[in-house]
Amino acid sequence: MALSTYLAKRFLQSILIVFAILLINFIIINSAPGDPARFMGGEVALSSPQYVQAIRERWGLDKPVYERFFIYIYNLLHGDLGYSYRYLQPVSTLILERLPTTLLLTITSTILAFLIGTFLGLKAVQKVGSKRDVFLTTLMFVFWSIPAFWLGIILIMIFGVQLKWFPISGLVSVREIKTGIWYYLDILYHSVLPITTLTLITIPVYYKLTRDTALQQLTEDYVTTFRAVGLDESRLFRRHVFRNAILPPITIFGLQLGYAIAGAALIETVFGWPGMGRLLLDSIYTRDYPVIMGIYLIISISVVLSNLIVDLVYMLLDPRIRVSR
Amino acid sequence: MRRLLSQFKQLLKDKYGLTGTIIFAFMVAIALLAPYLPIPDPNDISAKAFLPPSPKHPLGTDHLGRDLLSRIIWGARTSLAVGIIAAGISALVGIMLGALAGYFGGIVDDVISRIIEIFLMMPTFFLVLFIVAVFGSNMAYIMIVIGLTTWPTTARITRAQVLSVREMTFVEAARAVGAGSRRILFKHVLPNAIHPAIANMVLLIGQAIMIEAALSYLGLGDPNFPSWGRIIYEGQPYILTAWWIPLFPGIALVLTVLSVNFIGDAFLRVMTPRFKTL
Repeated sequence: MALSTYLAKRFLQSILIVFAILLINFIIINSAPGDPARFMGGEVALSSPQYVQAIRERWGLDKPVYERFFIYIYNLLHGDLGYSYRYLQPVSTLILERLPTTLLLTITSTILAFLIGTFLGLKAVQKVGSKRDVFLTTLMFVFWSIPAFWLGIILIMIFGVQLKWFPISGLVSVREIKTGIWYYLDILYHSVLPITTLTLITIPVYYKLTRDTALQQLTEDYVTTFRAVGLDESRLFRRHVFRNAILPPITIFGLQLGYAIAGAALIETVFGWPGMGRLLLDSIYTRDYPVIMGIYLIISISVVLSNLIVDLVYMLLDPRIRVSR
Repeated sequence: MRRLLSQFKQLLKDKYGLTGTIIFAFMVAIALLAPYLPIPDPNDISAKAFLPPSPKHPLGTDHLGRDLLSRIIWGARTSLAVGIIAAGISALVGIMLGALAGYFGGIVDDVISRIIEIFLMMPTFFLVLFIVAVFGSNMAYIMIVIGLTTWPTTARITRAQVLSVREMTFVEAARAVGAGSRRILFKHVLPNAIHPAIANMVLLIGQAIMIEAALSYLGLGDPNFPSWGRIIYEGQPYILTAWWIPLFPGIALVLTVLSVNFIGDAFLRVMTPRFKTL
């Protein structure tokens, strides 16, 4: 298959997935118990019949279901994610405001985890079964099994409460508002613990994947041949095993970024970090449904998009895919 | 079944497999024996609040004076029940869909594979949050929703296994003798293709326990059941002084999840001898 055909197919597939996610989103909201107009209006709907009527008209709730679905899609395509009664702002504005703080946590930690995880995985596999390998693998098992929110609390107790090295909550210091570059440095300082938490729980994913792939590579015929011929072991790892072992971690990078954004909801709660995850939870507690739906959509779409991008990068890196697909 | 048993024996020879099995068996035992253990009632508030660990209250008491050890032991029941039931639902759905896709191929495979892709792209925890937010937090919902959102990995694994097993000689022999599709699939293909899916199910138990704990930590768990996540949630405001409240339930969580991860991973290794060397 030619490259352009593959690209077109992959792009179409992404659009289909986004469409399916929209559909599921729509079904969930529509199968919720009670009147959807009241449901979307939240608490305000209880006291204001006019508001309920306005929602009903705007979303065409008096029309048949399939027609409603297209109205929903139509509104979305025009960038209309709905309106939050609680913040009295369009949902899209709310999300855009919170997105940068969440991305600071998630992108930084995903990249760090990718680098550290793959590095440690490659280090471990160099001497399979050695003390270093067993130690790292066991340690990774432990971090794999730690709930993110609990790790956050433990880090707060150690580095925030006991040692007082890092602030335990918030985006900036409330006592003195800093300006200019100091403002950004203050944000960075506050982000150390949340980023560390997210990074630590994500490292095992990359470690395990890298190590497993490298182990599998070591059973391949070319490795046996290489060793039989007596060529340099370190060259074998550097030029062949590592190169192949690093590909799967790259493919899951996109998915992982999406998961990180979802997981950030927990971390943001632990650290009082004013991001999208925090916004989502506040909206859940106050039943601000338009916001919940909006965030859900944004996250789903960003997962699909980052997957698409990663696939393209992957294709450039691995010539086999370019040819065989 | 016999093969599963022999694999379990091999599992016990694996260092990680053995450690995991011991921890998990211990957790299951205290969960089952909770009503008979010499511990105070988990809701008894007669002790003083915020007592640090002492011989009388080995893990201390919480903000209402409830014994933490007792609450953690009762919480194990919730965590394990959620983990096992949700993973069971997930495995059932995943194995069925994966087997259908792998065995029948063609359009069935196409449709199921697309559904798998869509579900794989959806952040599970997020979907669970969303659904619980819309429908309310009830233990049955939580288990079903976790089950219905985590099946795609199992389906993908089963599909790949069925694809390879269905081409084997003994399956062809069954077909030649005139066995029907259903009989071949359930009697011949599945029993030989199901093992990786079972190992994955063990890992799913850990995942489900984590999701339930996270939901409870966010205050979205079922309030009618004691839960490790909720103990941590309730203890967080007091971490400046009462460090033991969030610490111990978290350790119980990590140990339980770690044990199933050990077992699941060792199980996979036992089945795929290529990875014998850990």
